[in-house]
Amino acid sequence: MIDRRLLAACAVFLLALLLPAFISGYGIRILNLALISAIAVIGLNFAFGYAGLITLAQAGFVGCGAYITAILSTTLGLSPWLSIPAAMVGAGVIAVVIGLPMLRLKGHYLALATLGFNVSFVIVATNWKSLMGGTDGISGIPALALPGWSLGTDHRYYYVVWVALAVATWCAWRIRNSHIGLAMIAVRDDEIATGAASVGVTRIKVQAFGLSAVYAGLAGALFAHMTNFVAPDDFALGHSIIYLAMLIIGGEGSILGAIAGAVIVTFMPELMRDLGTAYLIIFGGLMLLILIFLPKGLLSLAGIVGRRLKALSR
Amino acid sequence: MSQQFIQLVVSGLAVGAVYALVGLAFIMVNEATGVVNFATGQMVAIGCFLSVSTGIQMGLPLGPAYALALVAMALFGIVFYAVVFRPLQDRPVVTVIIGTVMIGIVIQNSALMTWGSVPFRPRSPFGRQVVDVFGAAISAHALFVIAVAFLMIGLLYGFIYRTAIGARMRAVAQDRDAARLMGISVDRMFVLTWVIAGLLTGAAGILVGPMWFADVNMGDPIALKAFAAIIIGGFSSVPGAIVGGILVGLAEMLGAAYISSAYKDGLVFLVMILFLLVRPQGIFGERIGQRA
Repeated sequence: MIDRRLLAACAVFLLALLLPAFISGYGIRILNLALISAIAVIGLNFAFGYAGLITLAQAGFVGCGAYITAILSTTLGLSPWLSIPAAMVGAGVIAVVIGLPMLRLKGHYLALATLGFNVSFVIVATNWKSLMGGTDGISGIPALALPGWSLGTDHRYYYVVWVALAVATWCAWRIRNSHIGLAMIAVRDDEIATGAASVGVTRIKVQAFGLSAVYAGLAGALFAHMTNFVAPDDFALGHSIIYLAMLIIGGEGSILGAIAGAVIVTFMPELMRDLGTAYLIIFGGLMLLILIFLPKGLLSLAGIVGRRLKALSR
Repeated sequence: MSQQFIQLVVSGLAVGAVYALVGLAFIMVNEATGVVNFATGQMVAIGCFLSVSTGIQMGLPLGPAYALALVAMALFGIVFYAVVFRPLQDRPVVTVIIGTVMIGIVIQNSALMTWGSVPFRPRSPFGRQVVDVFGAAISAHALFVIAVAFLMIGLLYGFIYRTAIGARMRAVAQDRDAARLMGISVDRMFVLTWVIAGLLTGAAGILVGPMWFADVNMGDPIALKAFAAIIIGGFSSVPGAIVGGILVGLAEMLGAAYISSAYKDGLVFLVMILFLLVRPQGIFGERIGQRA
């Protein structure tokens, strides 16, 4: 079963390489955004899906990554190939520093504390004009380029994002099956028993939180070099909620679910564009229905349908 | 200086009283039903816009307009109970959080479609009247807000601690199953809780309208401050919500005037995070073993 799923995932990834040939300018930009969101949601899956930490700060960490690479590559003129890893490390370090005290909290207290971090990030980014540009943001962020070959167009950038997502997925899968991933799941399932088995619960939580921020930092940096511009609004609390919604729609605790959720939720507004302002009402209602009737996400629907079909064919 | 200081303190108290009402709505629901309602801010916005509908669009005198808006908010509480609370009841915390956030999105955008994106300026029963307090010119509406908020809090307190129904509600909050075994209709208490939440948020919305504007996006900023207020005060404590609300209101007004108007909200959240880290039970504490 696992092997078949792995094969299917690889096939989807390889087929996705052909997509730019069929999609025009605007569609490929949305697709890039979807894959970038998928990286952030895979990260969130460590904190929420595996370790069970309810965090509403993911957009804040995406913002940390975006601003770090923006500042390093404009003001300091660093190459994006160096500033992107710096953004990942920076976001991770910030998460560990605030996570060490904050992760003692649980449930909705942790949700509110992380919410406070995300709101504070936007307030700082809006008001620290000299470093972060205030509401005008930071513009003129350089596009990525290989020697003698620009990656500035959306079609070329797609392959950058594709490679990043593939590597991120592979790493996440390896971590999931390592002792670190298993420890995270153990913390989620029974914190007291895990602590009693001499696993450092706080250390595991901080690792999960830091790892989710490293992924967020990568997503933010890729976003900054795609749009060449960052502003506080892109990293507001609402986006943290959307990331969490993506993970839940796809199916928490599943890497492929995280990717599927990110793609579905990113394209949903495009599919429902005719609805105009009513779109968000439908979106909110749909999300609520999924939460109530499919608590394990849309991917679980595939499993349910599959089992039904098997039962029928017998 | 001192005149400005008095003005700031009074407006801080007025804003703080509104946060206290919203915080109480949040606490009542969380204590009685165990649901963390992230759509509380949108309920405040609906309360405000219902008073716009009755007071401005229907042109009723403000007394009946407010009464009608509050009745509508009580009904809204019942609808919320049936449509949102029932299906989400007893789900994991995160499902409830995301679920109520999504309901907040639905409410906010329904309000946008109903009332439009142009803000309204609801009038106050006192117009622009100004009162002299210790030599400072204070808006009569601010004093009205403080008086009404504390009257409501007093009534709520009396209801919870001095009536038989209040005792039943407290019993349900303490131990749902034991309350049911004592013959209390737990579901009826839940409905009542949501009605009270509707009334508290409705009153907050009605009171805040003339101070700020009636804007469909007004919910989240108010709810975030109310969260901060109840964390500072103590998550399950009624006096905590009042003290926390007033501290947040004063910090917002005085911080904006004397420290930095740009970072006034940051200041509030900084204090909230510090409280979570250093004194997570808040000023007034709560039952042990819930937070960590």
